[in-house]
Order: sequence, then C-alpha cells, then structure tokens
Amino acid sequence: MAKKKSTATRRAESQAASARAAAIRKEQERKERRRQTLVVTAVGVVVLAIIVLVVTRLSSSKDTTGATGAAPKGVVAGYAVPSGPSSAPVKVTVYEDFICPYCGQFEAASRTAFQKDIDAGKVQFQYHVLNFLDGNSTTRYSTRSANALAVVLNSAGPTAAKRFHDLLFENQPQERTAGLTDSQLVDFAVQAGAKKSAVQSGIGDLTFEPWVKKVTDKASKDGVTGTPTVSIGGKTLKYSTTEELVTKVEQAIAKGRS
Amino acid sequence: MDATAWDFPAWPVARLVARVVVGGVWVVAGALKLSDPAANVRSVRAYQLLPEAVVPTVGHALPALEIVVGGALLLGLLTRVTATVSALMLAAFVIGIASAWARGLSIECGCFGGGGSPAANAAAKYPWDIARDVGLLLLSVWLVWRPRSALSLDRRLLPSEA
Repeated sequence: MAKKKSTATRRAESQAASARAAAIRKEQERKERRRQTLVVTAVGVVVLAIIVLVVTRLSSSKDTTGATGAAPKGVVAGYAVPSGPSSAPVKVTVYEDFICPYCGQFEAASRTAFQKDIDAGKVQFQYHVLNFLDGNSTTRYSTRSANALAVVLNSAGPTAAKRFHDLLFENQPQERTAGLTDSQLVDFAVQAGAKKSAVQSGIGDLTFEPWVKKVTDKASKDGVTGTPTVSIGGKTLKYSTTEELVTKVEQAIAKGRS
Repeated sequence: MDATAWDFPAWPVARLVARVVVGGVWVVAGALKLSDPAANVRSVRAYQLLPEAVVPTVGHALPALEIVVGGALLLGLLTRVTATVSALMLAAFVIGIASAWARGLSIECGCFGGGGSPAANAAAKYPWDIARDVGLLLLSVWLVWRPRSALSLDRRLLPSEA
C-alpha cells in the first residue's frame, strides 16, 4: 500500500492520536488526583484518630467510677441511710438527689403517712442519696448535700440523719441556683441533732465525696436512670405521677411483706 | 469525589451551612460531656444495650469522637469521612433512643451531658430527640454524598476536580 494517504485521512489520524494522548493524560491526572486524595485522607484519618484516643485516655483517667472511699458508720445495704428498724418486714429502697424537684414532691406527699409506718416498725426505708444532678446547681449542691448527710449519719446516727434528710427536702433549693450554703447545711445538721464540732469540717471538706460517687455508680449499675426511683424487694415501681408512686409504696407496706 | 455536573452554584454554600449545623451540634454536645466522665459512663449504661465490659470505654470515647468529628466538620476537613462517622453515630443514637422508648425505659438521653429532669418526664422527649437526630442524620448523609462545600479545608488539601 504505497498509495499516499489523502490530506483528510492524515488529519483525521493525527486528531485521533492527539485525542488518545489527551485521554491518557487525563487518565493519569485522574489517577494522580485519586492518589493524592487517598494519601491526604489516610494521613488525616490517622491524625484525627490519635486525637480521639488521647482525649479518650484523658477522659478515662478523670473518671471517678470505682473511687475508693470509706462508708459512713450506720449505713445499711452497703450504700443506704436507714429509717426504721432493720427487722421490719418491708424494705423500701429509695434513690434520690437532694436537688431533684420530683424527689421533693415525693417526700412532701409521703412524709406523714410513711413516718407512722416507720414508727410502727412496719417498714424500713433505705435512702440512696445520689449526686448525679450536680449540673443542676451552680455549686455542686447534690454532692455537698449528699456528703453532709453521710457526715451526719457517721457522727450522729440514723435518727439524726433521717431528720437531716427531711429538713433538706423541706428546705429544698430551686434548680439552677447555688443551693444551701455549707454553713446552712451545718445549721440543719445541728437542728437534726448532730454536734456542730463533729460535722463542720466533714461538711466543708467533703469527707465522704468518694463514697457519694460510689453510691451513685452503684445506683447506675442497679439500673437507676432517674430520680426518684423506688424499689421494693428488688422490683422497681413503675409510675407516672407522684401520687401513683406514693400509693404503690403504701400498698406494699400495707401488705406487710417485700 | 464524584462529578458535580448538575450542582447549582448555591449548593456548596448550602452544604457549608449543613457542616456548621451538624459540626456545631457535635462540638457543643461533646464539650458539655467532657467534664464528667463518670456521668457519661452512666448515660451509656442506662440504655442497657451494651455489655458492661465495653460500657466504660464507650462512655469515655463518645465525647472525644463527638468533638473531633464536629471540629473537623466545622473546618471542612475530610468532609466525606467525618460526615460518614457522624451519620453512623446518629444512626446508632436513633436506634438507642427508639429502643429505650419501645422498652419503656425512662432515660434522660444524656445527649448534652448530665441527666436532668426526673424519670417521668424523660420519655416525653424521645420523639423530639429522635426528630433532631434524624434531621442531623439527613444532613450528614447529604455531606457524604456530596462532600464539596464552600470555605472548607478540603478545597486546599484535596486535589480539585478537573
């Protein structure tokens, strides 16, 4: 085929060649962009992952779960402040936080009725006082008040502790305020029957804070997700109103067994 | 990165807004949780979905992951990757809240740290928590599908489309 190619054919062939070259170049550029994207992404993911790991480690080192802290004298069931004799046929476990408004409602609605049953030896209330609502006051009132309760129990016994518990609910501060001051807590402790000299430093120094954290952590492991939570004989009472909760507890006490 | 042939000029700006909304929520949610690791562990435990062995690790890692993913989205850094993680976390949260709802558990979602209101009230907020998370999930999926947006570090770091 010695025949000379026509001008048109040659032009077409050279166009096709340059189109092929352009396509190859484009493909190479596309591969190069892909490689760059992969490299940048890989490096970025590694850097971000390292930051996540470091922050996670910091967070776990600040975790107070499992903190060791001695329990106050007079505790029952490992974590609770008792009210009523341990020989009572019905044991009512109550989880509360001193700043939780619905706990205040529950206490106000049930105080008179339950106190009669306690005095008659029909029931023992076991109060687990938590600090999980610390964010709802400006001064970690939940921790300070729960610690104060432990201090009073430790130095003045369960009767004074129950009275102190009742006083704090009767004088419950609003949420998102500073709450009662340490010296007010000391005053209520004295009013409840504790000696000022025996409770002042413990309330100011948060002596039982590690123990309060343990109580809160135990409650979480018991499946408590909010307060007030009341369980009787290991069963958590379901309720939608405070009255319903009070009625259920009254019925259980009336039945006379856990 | 896929072709953006029918991408209107306003879309990258709209996706910038999506990045700021999703990223901002993550950063705030994570930062509020950072101060109380024990509370985060309790929040995770409250859902009763994970075995106790991994509950503390998840509780510690979640705020860290939220802050890093949120920060990266705000900067427009590795948008496709971080939006994918964001979408996966939101999907997990929606499942968690929905299952707590279905099982009749009353949990303060713990979404923004701590746990506030009483047990009786928490359940009433489930629909709103789910609606919010689904909205953020949709925005995240959009960013996975079309990650290019205005004012992003990706524009500087990643090679541009030809």
